[in-house]
Amino acid sequence: MIELSGVTHHYNGSDVLRDIEFVQAEGEKRVLLGCNGSGKSTLLKILAGLIRPAAGQYRYRGELIDPARLKDPDRNRRFRQEVALLFQNPDTMLFNPTVFDEIAFGPRQLGVSDLEERVQHWAATVGITAHLKRPPFGLSGGEKQKVALAALLVMEPKLLLLDEPTASLDPRSTGWLVDFLADLPVTTLVSTHNLSLAPELGSRALVLGEDHGLVYDGAIAPLLDDLPRLAAANLVHSHRHRHGDLEHRHPHVHDW
Amino acid sequence: MTLDRALLAGYLLAVLAATLVHEPAWLAGALLLTLLLAGRDAAPLLRRALRLVLLFNLAVSLGYLLLAWLRELSPWHTLLLINLRVLLLSCMTFLFMERVNLFKALDFSPNLTWLLGLAYSQALSFRRSYEDFRLALLSRSLRRPRLADRYRASAAAASWFLDRGLATARETALALRARGFFHD
Amino acid sequence: MHIPDGFISPQTYVPAYIICAGLWWLALRRVRTRLDEETLPYIAVLTALSFVLMMVALPLPGGTTAHASGIALLAVSFGVWTAFLAVSLVLLMQALLFGDGGITALPINALAMGFLGSLTAWLLWRGLRRIQARAALFLAGWMSVLLPALLVALVLGLQPLIAQDDQGRPLFFPFDLAITLPAVLIPHLILGLGEGVLTVFGHHYLTRLRARHAA
Repeated sequence: MIELSGVTHHYNGSDVLRDIEFVQAEGEKRVLLGCNGSGKSTLLKILAGLIRPAAGQYRYRGELIDPARLKDPDRNRRFRQEVALLFQNPDTMLFNPTVFDEIAFGPRQLGVSDLEERVQHWAATVGITAHLKRPPFGLSGGEKQKVALAALLVMEPKLLLLDEPTASLDPRSTGWLVDFLADLPVTTLVSTHNLSLAPELGSRALVLGEDHGLVYDGAIAPLLDDLPRLAAANLVHSHRHRHGDLEHRHPHVHDW
Repeated sequence: MTLDRALLAGYLLAVLAATLVHEPAWLAGALLLTLLLAGRDAAPLLRRALRLVLLFNLAVSLGYLLLAWLRELSPWHTLLLINLRVLLLSCMTFLFMERVNLFKALDFSPNLTWLLGLAYSQALSFRRSYEDFRLALLSRSLRRPRLADRYRASAAAASWFLDRGLATARETALALRARGFFHD
Repeated sequence: MHIPDGFISPQTYVPAYIICAGLWWLALRRVRTRLDEETLPYIAVLTALSFVLMMVALPLPGGTTAHASGIALLAVSFGVWTAFLAVSLVLLMQALLFGDGGITALPINALAMGFLGSLTAWLLWRGLRRIQARAALFLAGWMSVLLPALLVALVLGLQPLIAQDDQGRPLFFPFDLAITLPAVLIPHLILGLGEGVLTVFGHHYLTRLRARHAA
């Protein structure tokens, strides 16, 4: 479904992505790991056809995609309907007068006949029915996240890209999101810097290193045991700590 | 006097000089010198400067060409002079930005450095967020967004920035108070 | 409006810098006499705010965009001196950190947009708000664009008179007032309307927001 080759990008003269190459099959659920500033957001924006990489190619279902190619109205319509990106800051996605209008924004462009039902269905699914008539701006961070998610899912996308979706969520909402995504029959790529959540969000992982290159592409389980590799990608840390009376240091993960 | 401060003074003097000299040959020489000083960065520097001034200068130059034709003047000397000067000043500014740390150059005034530093980092973060607002609307648009939607999106972004601005100012003030910054 | 460096003569920008320096000194003193803990961070954050408000698109029909300045909004909400300092800092950042705009055009823009624009907006708002608050805000926004545009048009249009060589050829901006006045004023007459609307809504929103932040 996704095919990247040699994708490289820089911003103001410094590297953001270096020679990224991977393939993701339809139906696969993957996690994109990397420390802050490793280029995760940029990679997701390239996959959503919002940024043109400085070099390299991105194919979606075999078709080359970048902003210039999406100037074609038919291609844009098809692609934007199938590929959805949840931005890291949900505030940047919300601009309609009510939550209902926010969710209805996409379907209205399609001119569907069952608008009311669709909106109600997805509002209920993510649990924001009570807020439908309110403006989205006054909601809490987690609620905004759910509104933004419903506004994407109502289009029934084939590929769902999520940028650090758990960053602004409390533990209960994080648990809800993990279950929700696991049951969602959609190809997903979720970025996070939270290693302990990774196995809950997908079966395979991509790891962006601090040098902005892809340092791992494979199953999650072996990755989690490969502490040196994780430390190199700045995903685990080490500091002094105690086990009973023993004080020592080694790389480890916190469940935050 | 630190190096950055000396370079700032040098840059300002060079700017003044470039507006006091009206001989195209001298300005061309200065442009060449600027590009030589830029070394390996010369080509991207020149490209960037050209991109910055192209639209405005093209409009002015074409307009002046028309005016000169109507008034039966020879436009060439003026056109050469104006365009060379604008290009030279842009190249000098970009070279200055590339080589000099403005914050170090201004460190004779801690207040100004602090003010500019906070404003700059906040401006960079606002600019990143604005880019996200723009891309988010783009990614949700199957067709060209209607005027009303573009207005709503702009209004949402502007009000978010106002909200963020006020909150950030408050937090910064609290943090400074906690550090005793204002008890002098 | 962005004039690149190189169109303004030193006979213009050097005196303009001197006037600016005086006004900056005055502004800092005015702001400092009211120095509470929030003043400095406010100016820094308002600078960033002013910077990004100038960036936010004012959509026009047909997919094109214009840009408002937000200066009237800053002036009526935070005062003339604060707005003037914020706009001056934006111009400094744009000239020397973002490479957009110019160091010789800076004092003209600071005087026109930052000082004249803020002062116009503030005076109109103070003078007319008791009669009709919304109309006062709209007018403040509109005029905060129009009067600075007039000043810029005058400065540009006088360049051929101020600086010419011995054969009478212009050395800097080559068009006279007969051209600059209509060319600058007519678009800003219309752009100012957008600024007026932005000022009305922006002020309404900011007032509510500040009440909430204060609570």
